[in-house]
Amino acid sequence: MTRSTEHAIIVDHLSKRYGDLLAVDDVSFAVNTGEVFAFLGPNGAGKSTTVEIIETIRRPTSGTVTLLGMNIATNKAEVVRRIGVLPQGFSSFDRITVRETLSFYASVFRSLPDINALMDLTDLRAKANAQFKTLSGGLKQRVGIAAALVNDPDIVFLDEPTTGLDPHARRQVWQVLKGLKARGKTIFLTTHSMEEAEALADTVAIISKGRIVAIGSPARLTEKHTEQMRLTLKPGDAAVLDLVRRMGFSPTRTIDDGIAVSVPAADDVRAILAAIREAGLPPPLGLDVRKPNLEEVYLKLTGEQLAQTGQGGVQ
Amino acid sequence: MTPRITAAMLVVRVRSLYREPSALFFTFAFPIILVLVFGTIFTRPEHLNFELPVQDNSGSEASAMLLKALTTDNAFTIIPIPPDADPRLYARENKRNLLLVIPKDFQVLHNERALKLDGTASVPVTYVFDPSSTSLGTKLQLLNTIVAAANQRYSGTAAFITLKPVSILASTYRFIEFFVPGIIAMAIMTSSLSSALNMNAELKQKGILRKLAATPITRTDWLVSSILYQLILSVISTVAILLVSYFVFNVRLNIGTWLPLIVVVEVIAFVGIGMTLTPLAREAESASAVSNAVLFPMMFLSGTFFPVEMMPGFLQTFARFLPLYYVNEALRASMIFADCAGTLWSVAILAAFAAVAFVAGTVLTRWGE
Ligand SMILES: Nc1ncnc2c1ncn2[C@@H]1O[C@H](COP(=O)(O)OP(=O)(O)OP(=O)(O)O)[C@@H](O)[C@H]1O
Ligand SMILES: [Mg+2]
Repeated sequence: MTRSTEHAIIVDHLSKRYGDLLAVDDVSFAVNTGEVFAFLGPNGAGKSTTVEIIETIRRPTSGTVTLLGMNIATNKAEVVRRIGVLPQGFSSFDRITVRETLSFYASVFRSLPDINALMDLTDLRAKANAQFKTLSGGLKQRVGIAAALVNDPDIVFLDEPTTGLDPHARRQVWQVLKGLKARGKTIFLTTHSMEEAEALADTVAIISKGRIVAIGSPARLTEKHTEQMRLTLKPGDAAVLDLVRRMGFSPTRTIDDGIAVSVPAADDVRAILAAIREAGLPPPLGLDVRKPNLEEVYLKLTGEQLAQTGQGGVQ
Repeated sequence: MTPRITAAMLVVRVRSLYREPSALFFTFAFPIILVLVFGTIFTRPEHLNFELPVQDNSGSEASAMLLKALTTDNAFTIIPIPPDADPRLYARENKRNLLLVIPKDFQVLHNERALKLDGTASVPVTYVFDPSSTSLGTKLQLLNTIVAAANQRYSGTAAFITLKPVSILASTYRFIEFFVPGIIAMAIMTSSLSSALNMNAELKQKGILRKLAATPITRTDWLVSSILYQLILSVISTVAILLVSYFVFNVRLNIGTWLPLIVVVEVIAFVGIGMTLTPLAREAESASAVSNAVLFPMMFLSGTFFPVEMMPGFLQTFARFLPLYYVNEALRASMIFADCAGTLWSVAILAAFAAVAFVAGTVLTRWGE
């Protein structure tokens, strides 16, 4: 019981096989109530398959999923009522308007949402009477998000909500998602975008070839899986080089006569700058600190996977 | 099944239809065009000739008088036909649209009447006619006028010569009357089956089915809303076909309680069959292939365009396994022949098809996987 209240979703040893292909390979994880959980992975990693199994649209080959304390295999009707779903590449009836689409989905859920408020939330009010087929990709996506909210779901699943959107539209969607989180919804999101995962997610699971290769908060993942920070100082004064070396780091000269040094933490950057000032050396004119980010983690982990299975490289 | 969900699905589909003019055209205008084209072909005007084959079985003075009356003023040209010929067969083989048969006892009855032995004696003179002929009306009118004049010569109130019509066909209806119920059945079948298949494939292709699968819509909601939607289309289509047939070809058919019942059962049967076939038709192309594969044989082998009796025996047997055959039978039995027992029998078999198709449809429609 306590588990089910702190965990909105518990996935236990889930597998899905399509013929010879093991699309989801013994995956286990839990999603906390009220958090934004992001599935990050390359094309064909098994993101949609996993999400759609949780949404009860596909059947797992083995394993169980517990959603809001219910086994989804035996409670499909109730599960469906408590979740909102934006399928990948959302589409709807061509000649039905935005407002009609939303009231259709509301009827289907036998709920009475405030359609105007939903359209305001997703910034669709101006297009209320436009037929679906006349909308741009970003607007269609927002109709999908609004449609996923008609039943006031506890958990919202969004399969690639911002794929194909321009940067403004992306940020608009992010705003909507942040608003949902603020209202206590649990959000399960899949994405290819590190930026998106970093901006929104409390927990990120990196999935590759049907397996979760890393899971944790974006900060912890980057900390755990990436190289040190890289500090570049310009101009490359010999005294500075000597000083940094004496502090126990191993600085190198860069091709454009700067100094590059790898440091494990942000504090070390501060320590180096302080030491330069204390030694009375001229402060560096150019300074660049490259923070490790999720992208590096992602490329490293999914790249390793590809290399391991011998499918990286030329393809 | 939930009324609100079903109604919501229905509204979406009706809206989608009336916002798509080409779909409207093919649903409603296409069968009407078929009626007009086929109707025109089969009711083309014929060359008018006033030859009248007569089988004079009496060969008497009295019959000669009648023949004389028929030829007076060049009304008819009599063509005698041998007494041993089967008149219906003769008319059919020689493409005669009207043929007269004078009975053996014509003279005897004439004498009884003329000599006032029996003031009510009358003689039936059979005329064999081809109901599909367009020039028949004029000839029949002339025949009636001449016979009426001949009857004037006999005293008494009752007419002496009474004309007895016999169609060269087994029953008396025009081809267009046979054809219209077939077109109604075909239009409903085509629309129900192919729209069930195509709608499913289209929604699947667009990914709408995946969204619908994650909602509380059940397969029964889906099927029932499809049936109601097709029912609306079928009623409009049927009314349109009947109106055009009436105003253009003067087709009058019995439209009682049977027609609506048959339409409902047919729609359930073919929407159900369509849903049952959805696992075979995952893409739009395969959907139309599957629906054509089912529709065309059904159309040609179930007696839509010509009577099943015209086909070889094994095909006639095969036709009895096709649901459309029973729709045609039921519609013709009720609309042309007012044959309640026959209609009931066909409707019962059709209802069995519909029940199986409905259940199979709810079980076999696939959404998610
Ligand atoms: N219905 C299916 N039949 C057979 N194979 C499938 C089916 N659905 C998915 N797959 C395969 O399973 C694997 C995982 O697919 P999935 O759609 O889950 O990937 P994804 O991570 O969502 O990819 P993307 O980022 O491109 O959406 C892929 O190799 C895909 O080809
Ligand atoms: Mg996907």
